[in-house]
Amino acid sequence: MRDFLLGVALIIALNAFICLYRAVIGPTVQDRLLAVNVVGTKTLIVVVLVTFIFNESFFLDVAMVYALLNMVVTVVLSRYLETEGWRGREVR
Amino acid sequence: MSAREAIAGAFCAIGALFFIIGTTGLLRLPDFFARLHPSTKCDTLGGCSVLVGMMVYAGWSWEIPRLVLIAGFLLLYSATCGHAMGRSGFLRGMPMWKKEPASEDVEGVGEEA
Repeated sequence: MRDFLLGVALIIALNAFICLYRAVIGPTVQDRLLAVNVVGTKTLIVVVLVTFIFNESFFLDVAMVYALLNMVVTVVLSRYLETEGWRGREVR
Repeated sequence: MSAREAIAGAFCAIGALFFIIGTTGLLRLPDFFARLHPSTKCDTLGGCSVLVGMMVYAGWSWEIPRLVLIAGFLLLYSATCGHAMGRSGFLRGMPMWKKEPASEDVEGVGEEA
């Protein structure tokens, strides 16, 4: 079972590396932000799998903090891109 | 291999399949709004499927409340981030993909928006 979980974690990590291609070639800034968000979620799932591969339960706390940081980064950056530099509340 | 491990393995396989589908959609679709859709789907469905599989695999222990917390937060923040990114693209006037030959104009339009 540990080998199977290791295989699933490797597949998801490989998917995350493939998603970085969109972050490199993405035509707009929002595309890069979306790709980075997807990579963050996949890393969160890999950390949860690593918990059960190595039987170290403190990795779950790491995963929780990682999810919080991922959400804050994405919401703040998309708000920044939406108002183009904190210019105010109204957008166009 | 017990039945518990078989159920957990099935959930993990479903989650990995949905992650592969999400990666394919992120790479292949032509538009930002179209790419937003499969990526948030793979977050919620694939990620929560893997987390449910890990809940089955862990058994009755103190890992279950933390996994439930992570899964609920994943459901919350994936939808929120998808909405925020879509709103930021829409309010900046990002061009939408059309089926006619204008599909080449999608490249490099973000600078003038």
